[in-house]
Amino acid sequence: MKCARATSLLTAAALLASGCAQTGDIQKIEPGERPSIESDEAGLWMQMDRFEEDLKTSGKVIADPDLNAYVRDILCRLKADYCVDIRIYIVRTADFNASMAPNGVMIVWTGIILRARNEAQLASVLGHELVHYIGRHALKRWREIRNTTDAAVFFTFATGGIAGILAGFAAYDSIMSFSRDMEREADSRGLAMMHAAGYDSREAAKIWQQLIKEKEESDEPKRSAFFSTHPATEERSKTLAELAAATDNAGTSLGRERHAAMTAPFRHDWLLDELRQRDYARFEVLLDQLSETGQEDGELLFFRGELHRLRGEGEDDAKAIAAYTAALESDSAPPETYRSLGLVQWSAGNTAATRAAFESYLASERDPEDRAMIEHYLQQIP
Amino acid sequence: MRERRRRAGGHGLAALAIVLLLGACAQTQSFLTSGDLAEKPANPHVLIMPTDVELSELTAAGLLEPNAAWTAAGRRNVDAALDALLAQRSAIAVRYDETDSAAKEAEAQLLKLHSVVGGTILVHKYLPALALPTKKDIFDWSLGDGATALREPYGADYALFIYLRDSFASDSRKALIVVGAVLGIGVSGGHQAGFASLVDLRSGEIIWFNRLVSAAGDLREPELAREATHNLLKDLPL
Repeated sequence: MKCARATSLLTAAALLASGCAQTGDIQKIEPGERPSIESDEAGLWMQMDRFEEDLKTSGKVIADPDLNAYVRDILCRLKADYCVDIRIYIVRTADFNASMAPNGVMIVWTGIILRARNEAQLASVLGHELVHYIGRHALKRWREIRNTTDAAVFFTFATGGIAGILAGFAAYDSIMSFSRDMEREADSRGLAMMHAAGYDSREAAKIWQQLIKEKEESDEPKRSAFFSTHPATEERSKTLAELAAATDNAGTSLGRERHAAMTAPFRHDWLLDELRQRDYARFEVLLDQLSETGQEDGELLFFRGELHRLRGEGEDDAKAIAAYTAALESDSAPPETYRSLGLVQWSAGNTAATRAAFESYLASERDPEDRAMIEHYLQQIP
Repeated sequence: MRERRRRAGGHGLAALAIVLLLGACAQTQSFLTSGDLAEKPANPHVLIMPTDVELSELTAAGLLEPNAAWTAAGRRNVDAALDALLAQRSAIAVRYDETDSAAKEAEAQLLKLHSVVGGTILVHKYLPALALPTKKDIFDWSLGDGATALREPYGADYALFIYLRDSFASDSRKALIVVGAVLGIGVSGGHQAGFASLVDLRSGEIIWFNRLVSAAGDLREPELAREATHNLLKDLPL
C-alpha cells in the first residue's frame, strides 16, 4: 500500500522534476565563447575562477617564462584559435597527471613533462585536455551526475532497502562509464589533433606504455593518484597505437631536441620530487626510460646512486658507489654526488674514501649550505 | 588525465560543512578574544576583505550546483548591507583593492591563511568533541604579524572577513520534500551558513568571530541579505 502510494507520488514528482532537468545535446564551445551568467555552466566557471585565483599564488606553480612559453607554444600549434582561451599552469608535482577545468584552466603536472620523451608526447597530453575543453566535458559530466543522482534518489525513496542501495551503485556505474566515454573521445580526437599539427601520433601510445611499465614494477601501484583513477591504461595505449597505425606519419616530427633543451634546467628538481615518493622500483623504471635514448649522463647516474643509497638493501651500497663513481667520471654530475658518495662510503665502513669524498664535496662548491654539517662529519670519522 | 570541475575537498572542508549545517533556524554564536581589546578609535577604519559569497541550487540528491547569477546578486546585496551597517556604527568602510598589483601576492596569502584559520576555528571551537585542550576556554587565534602589512596601504585599523553560503532547493528537491513528507522521511531544503571575523591590524589577532546557520533567508533579496548580514554582525565589537 505504502509502496503503491509512493509510486504514484513519484510519478507526480518525476513530472514536476522533468521541467527543470537540462537535456539536449551540448554543442562544442566556440573560440572566445563565455557562458551566459544565467546558465549552470556559468556556475561551474565561477567556481573554477575562484580556484584559479588561489592557484595563481600557489607556491607549486612554476613561473619560469621559458618553460611556460614552450608548453604554450605546443598548445597553440595544436589549436591556434583556442589557445587564447586556455591558461596553462605547470604545477610542481611528482607523478603523471594533467587536468582541464571548464573555464580554460589547464593544469599540467611536472611529472608528466619529465616523463614525456619528446614534444610529440607532451602534445598528445595537451591535445587530450584540449578536447575536454572544446567538448565541454566538465558540463556534460556535471549534468550527467546531477540527472543520474536525482533519478537514483527518487528511486530509492520509492523502493527503499536493498533496491535503493543497488540504485546507488547503478548511478555510480553509469557516471563512471560516462566519464570513460569522454576519456576515449579525448584520446581519439586528441590524437587526430596532434597529427594535424605535424606531430608523430605514434608517440601518444608510447607515453602510456612507459607508464604501464612503471605501474608493473611499482612497490605500491595503488598509491599513485593516476593509477587509482585510470584503470584502463592498457586498453587506452592499445587503442591509441591502433589509431596511430592507421594514419600516415610520414613527415611528422618528434621534437626530441627542443623538449630535452627546455626541460634540462628542471630535470634535477623534478627527479628529486619523484625520488622523494620512495617508490624505488618505480623510480628505477623511470630512470631506465629516461636514459634509453642516450648515454646515461652524470645527473641520471647520480639519481641512480641515490635510489640505491636510500633503499639500502642487499647490494645497494655497492651499486650506489658504482653509480656515483661513474657519475663523477662524466662532466655532468651534480656537486652533491660527492656528499652522497661520502655518506654511502661511510655506511660501508670505508673511512679513507669517506674522507676523500667529503673533502671533495667541500672543495667542489663555493659555499655549500651544509658545510658545518659535513665538517662535523669529518671530525666524527676515526 | 581527466577534466577538473571543482576543487578537491579535504577532510577540513567536510568538517566545516558539518559545523555550518548543524543549526536549523537562524542561529549565531560568537567569540570575543580572551586578550585585552586594544583601545578602539572613535571612527575606526574597517577594511572589508573580498566577501566570499556563493549561492547554489540544491539538487534532489543533495548536490550543490553553484549559480553565478545568484552569487553576483547575493554578493552585491551583502556588500551594500555591510556598508550600511558599518556606517551605522560610525566606522569607515575601506574597500579591498582586487586589481592585480605587486602587493597582491602577499595579500592573497593572507586571504588563504584566514580561510584556513577560520575553518580551524569552526571545527575546533564549534564542535565540542573536537575542542582543543589548550584552547577550550580561551579564544586567542591570530593571523600573525603578517596581517599588519594590510594596515599601512589601506590606512585601516581592522579587517573584516565575511564568508557566506546560501542554497535553494531545485524543483526536483522540492518534489522530493513532498514525497518525503508523505512517507515520513525528513528532507531538508536549502541552507544559509557563514562566518565572519574581525582582525585587529595592529596585532593580527582575530578579536571577534561569529558563525551563522539558518534554514531560512535568501541573499538574493536585498532586504533578506541585510537581515542575514545584521544577524552575522550584530555583536561586532565596533
